Amino acid sequence: MTLRWLAAALACAALAAVPLIAPSAFRQFGTEALLLASLAQAWNILGGYAGYPSFGNSAFYGLGTYGTAVMMARFHQPFAVGLACGASLAVACACAVGVPILRLRGPYFAIVTLGLSAMLAAIVRNLAIAGRNIGLILPLTRKDTLFYELALGLLVAATATVALLAQSRFGAGLVAIRENEEAAAVMGVATTRYKVAALSLAALITAIAGGIHAYWITFVDPASAFDGSLNVKMVIMAVFGGPGTVLGPVVGALLLSGISEVLASTISTMASLFYGVVIVVAVLFMPKGLWDAGRELRRRGLPYFGENLRRYRL
Amino acid sequence: MKITILALGLAVLAASRPARAAGTPITLGAAVQMTGAMANTGRYYRDAYHLAVAQVNALGGVTVAGEKHPLALKLYDSQSDVNLGVRQYVELLTEDKVNFLLGPFSSDDALDDSSVAEKYRVPMVEGGGASSQIFSRGYHDVFGTLPPADDYFASTIEMLGKLSPPAKTVALVSADDAFDVAVAKGTRKLAHGAGLELVVDEQYPEDNAEFASILSRIASKHPDVILWSGHEAQALNFIREMKRLGVSPRGMASFTVGVPTADFRQALGADADYAFGMTPWLPSSAQRDDWFGDGEKFAQLYREKLGYAPDYHAASAVADVETIVKAIEAAGSLDPEKVRDAIARTDFQSLYGRIHFNPGGQIALAQTVIQIQHGQVVPIYVQDFVHRPDYPVPGWSQRLAHK
Amino acid sequence: MALFVQIVVNGVLVGGLYGLMALGMGLVWGVLNIVNLTHGALIMLGGYTVYYLYVRAGLDPFAALPVAMLGLFGLGYVLQRFVLGSIARSPLLNTLLVTFGLEVVATYLAQLAFSADLRTINPPYAGQRLAIGGVVVPLVPAAAFGAALLLAFGLWIALGHTRTGRAIRASAQNLGAARLYGVNPRRIFALTFGTGAALAGAAGGLYGLVAQLNPYMGNSLTPKSFVIAILGGLDRPLGVIAGGLALGVAEALTGAYLASTYVDAISFGLLVLLLVARTSRLIRSA
Repeated sequence: MTLRWLAAALACAALAAVPLIAPSAFRQFGTEALLLASLAQAWNILGGYAGYPSFGNSAFYGLGTYGTAVMMARFHQPFAVGLACGASLAVACACAVGVPILRLRGPYFAIVTLGLSAMLAAIVRNLAIAGRNIGLILPLTRKDTLFYELALGLLVAATATVALLAQSRFGAGLVAIRENEEAAAVMGVATTRYKVAALSLAALITAIAGGIHAYWITFVDPASAFDGSLNVKMVIMAVFGGPGTVLGPVVGALLLSGISEVLASTISTMASLFYGVVIVVAVLFMPKGLWDAGRELRRRGLPYFGENLRRYRL
Repeated sequence: MKITILALGLAVLAASRPARAAGTPITLGAAVQMTGAMANTGRYYRDAYHLAVAQVNALGGVTVAGEKHPLALKLYDSQSDVNLGVRQYVELLTEDKVNFLLGPFSSDDALDDSSVAEKYRVPMVEGGGASSQIFSRGYHDVFGTLPPADDYFASTIEMLGKLSPPAKTVALVSADDAFDVAVAKGTRKLAHGAGLELVVDEQYPEDNAEFASILSRIASKHPDVILWSGHEAQALNFIREMKRLGVSPRGMASFTVGVPTADFRQALGADADYAFGMTPWLPSSAQRDDWFGDGEKFAQLYREKLGYAPDYHAASAVADVETIVKAIEAAGSLDPEKVRDAIARTDFQSLYGRIHFNPGGQIALAQTVIQIQHGQVVPIYVQDFVHRPDYPVPGWSQRLAHK
Repeated sequence: MALFVQIVVNGVLVGGLYGLMALGMGLVWGVLNIVNLTHGALIMLGGYTVYYLYVRAGLDPFAALPVAMLGLFGLGYVLQRFVLGSIARSPLLNTLLVTFGLEVVATYLAQLAFSADLRTINPPYAGQRLAIGGVVVPLVPAAAFGAALLLAFGLWIALGHTRTGRAIRASAQNLGAARLYGVNPRRIFALTFGTGAALAGAAGGLYGLVAQLNPYMGNSLTPKSFVIAILGGLDRPLGVIAGGLALGVAEALTGAYLASTYVDAISFGLLVLLLVARTSRLIRSA
């Protein structure tokens, strides 16, 4: 047990040292990948553990982005104040809408979250304080290493949260909700409270990621803040890596980001083609995610892939 | 034995490599939209950059302090993803170590990508972003060869004052992104100054363009002129919807985009006729150029080599390359700060027009009013009439009768 | 008053097409439990098929629709039989992943094949309109509306009154029991997905007539179809058409009387409210 925590600490230290030795292009890629990994991990809490797949976490990302941007661009507050504002907005939103929307299940829950994100984006588009559709410009800073470390810190915090959660009663409750919500309620799990808590936690992490991204890019507008494609990305990374596990989403996110980046800089124009093919092939042969594949391959070797095909096909 | 043969082989290979061109290459870098939703226009930039660099090299390259250097180009495909583009610009500067930067298409991309140039203190000359937002941040290293969005309709409104029957009422329709909001703001001022009344002033969301409602409103107000600002795909939709609903203003309809571009006219066919538009550039033998001869020769060469006609995006892109080359030669060095100062002082004649930047970093070029007549783009007015406009524009049913 | 009627008519005509777009997605989602992210790409492919049939073979677009539908049906059948069927029993979200990957591939190949040039399907009658009272009814959108209604009714009848349709509905409700009655799940599922793809293809062709085609058009159409499909009750064709009409009219009214920039806020706001209000009904029926 302690060995695992030690290994994790070492990995974090190594990652933290990277910007000091690696070329700055890697730092750029690293920051983006780490932020995506945090988003995937946040999604994991509600989607992987509790079984409520959200398609609208971009709503919280956008709130975090705009909270930070408005504070910094309009009120000239420091970054920390901006982040706090963004995070508070997101958590407040989660608590406010959590109860009604978490009564929906499966695809209906997915759609209502999607609708929520689109609605918020459309509202922000009409707000003068947010710069309407033109957006806001944040002060420029040249400390790019700061963003890398912040993103890394966020991912570490998020993953540690999930690790603790997985061992706790709260986590067990979430899993119970995923497996059979009615039975869980009967067994005394405070399902509504747990679900709203999970949503709020996801909202918090997602919003902070948004705030960091805003300051890093120095420019926000509704399209990029409430970016719909992020939703698909975080779900795919979490599911690809292994939902409901501690490290699955991290591995999935970092790997997919890496593949995408390498493709974009080597075969540039064919990049998206290969990316799509990689995803299709990977899912066909590793339907339970990378994490599971990693574990089982060691035990059963190559027949693992054939078994998957046989087991999961119609 | 084997090793000797190997060694000999390598020696032969090394000896047979062509002698390197004198001087190390000077590299320009950019991330443009070669695939994705913006690829339609992004490809003009990709192709124009390549053509310009090839032409510069064909005529001897760049002379720095007496030594000749070839020009090189490093392009990435940003896949119309703004965030990816930003990362690619950082990679261009830190990994590929390019000397200077060229820009992407679209104000949104230019806004984000130029921040990278400013952060790393490397000059960027971009020809794809016209929004004044790009140039009002007090940035030091960013220059643009598209004229300010606010003035896009200036020539058109000036022309309206000289036409008969006179136009009195205007319907303004604009998208809500940075570029179009700037256009709308500027146009309101210009219209007010010219004594035109805005009977309709509508903004539409750039990603959900439903024009039926707007056009029905316009139909009920009977404006003399429609001034429209947005993206090419939506301009196309707007015209089709105009035809379907039978809406045609008494005077004319003018669009900020689409009209100068070939595939826009092709997609609309005969429906594109009579539409007014604008362009900061038309291929002209009067625009002399140090590398291409003149604007007309450039257009010919472009069409020959690439199979399609260039528009102002391509010309703007070529101007960017030429600006950097001229600045390097004027500064006599590759030092970013010196070259940046040289760009700021730039003043020369090119196939695109006179290249000279205001203190904010943006070029000032008058828009030429153009009209599509029988499927061809005809220049109508810039400071004075060049050709006769087909005005007032006949209604849709009348056009069918004309044929 | 005339303006109001005109606005509503505009909304209804657009709404019919919206409904048709969502029909295929709802069917596949409701019956196969597949969230099909490739849906937009299928619409796009259908559109290009009709375009090329019109431009190269001179076939009238409305006549080309059934041909495109057949082609897309085949594509959908193959996709389900050999790709999606292979992961049908794995965790739900995997179909999401695979359809996402397929969409990326399809869009890329489309760009390669068709180039990013804007295209419209522009037959000579494209600009004609009828004037009924003081209201302008453009011909092509009206015909598209009619086609959408026809297809929706056709689907409704097929699902309710044919043997195959009943087999599809049975498989959706209880696959095990359906098997006992002789249903071959692989064939039925492939048929269903194929039908969904065919409907998407028809929507694409009509979309090309009414608006325009480009390889990336699917990106914005998929989420819209999502919303309408849910509003309409997934595999209930008439409900989905009604959902499309409701959205079309709501958008038109917002655009005309509020401001165009509020359209999305209102339509998605309505969606959220409706879903939340329906929860109790949904839970009872679940």
